[in-house]
Amino acid sequence: MDINELKRQSDLSYDIAVAKRNALEKAHSRQVLAYEGHLFRADPGTICLVRALKEYNDTFYVLDTNNNPVEITDTDGFLSVLIERNQESLNTYNNIYKTFTKKGQ
Amino acid sequence: MTAGVLLFCFDTEHTPYHKILERCVRLVKKNVSGEITVVTNFSTYQKMSPMGSINYKFMEPEIGNKKNGQEWNNVDRHMAYDLSPYDTTLVIDIDYFCFSDNLKQLFGTDYDFLVPDTAHDLTGRNTFDLRKWSMIPMVWATVLLFKKNQKVKRIFDTVKYIKRHYPYFRDMYRIYDRSLRNDYLFAMALQQINGFVGYEKMPFALPTLPPDCEVVEIMDEGITWKYKDQISYTENQDVHVLNKDIANV
Repeated sequence: MDINELKRQSDLSYDIAVAKRNALEKAHSRQVLAYEGHLFRADPGTICLVRALKEYNDTFYVLDTNNNPVEITDTDGFLSVLIERNQESLNTYNNIYKTFTKKGQ
Repeated sequence: MTAGVLLFCFDTEHTPYHKILERCVRLVKKNVSGEITVVTNFSTYQKMSPMGSINYKFMEPEIGNKKNGQEWNNVDRHMAYDLSPYDTTLVIDIDYFCFSDNLKQLFGTDYDFLVPDTAHDLTGRNTFDLRKWSMIPMVWATVLLFKKNQKVKRIFDTVKYIKRHYPYFRDMYRIYDRSLRNDYLFAMALQQINGFVGYEKMPFALPTLPPDCEVVEIMDEGITWKYKDQISYTENQDVHVLNKDIANV
């Protein structure tokens, strides 16, 4: 590999890394959702917690992104909204990610 | 209960901010809210193209603040509480372009006052890690959500008090930046009024383009920029643009 090719490859890798970071940040922002007047993050931790709590109780309390307690009464509805938003954001991320793979080839 | 977006816009000798406002309003209407109030002065208003149904409040900006040696009319944010006609207000800087509807959902929350405290550098250089430039963690007053009630009024009263004595508070918190910056003004007010124990924040970082990025194109869905020899773009993601040459794009 000559030095020009190395530089080209290095620049390309950097561009892809920055674009990937931006796309991931975009996904994280999109995972923030408002529910019952509070903000939650539709991330794996919240989804797993809600699913686990729902197996034991019809209603339960969770903390919002600012550590305020919120009573969840429609547990199925809440879980459904969380999963929907999580998958929407990751689907968008996946579509962007595919373009990185093409660029890198 | 009314809810809407409040925008501040004053042209300066160097920057036709009304051009930035026109783009901002189009995106806010599309993605955040149709209810918009623009705070401006008459000379700026006269240059604006028609933007449909929006409300205007006229006032002369407080002058004297400078950034990089140029006039910077940004010190009227403390009046947002008094100027807003809404019960729930989202204040957005006009250089924050809402390419997504992420902010819209904030209207449906019960929080009295929310502000973000982090920014994401879209060029990947982490240039917004500003912690070392003061003794207080900065907030990004680029986007503020507030409700009209006594608690929030006290926050804005504190902001006004700190603004009146800004040199004292700036030195007390050892803020490196000599110009008056809303980000520090609100950071200090929130810390003081909340008993130095923290406050509620927006749980996301503001995607931001540093001032040394040249904006190449702004579309309805996103933005393309150039940094050194690198061209990048993002779409359906909000972007805060710090390079004011965007007025001429």
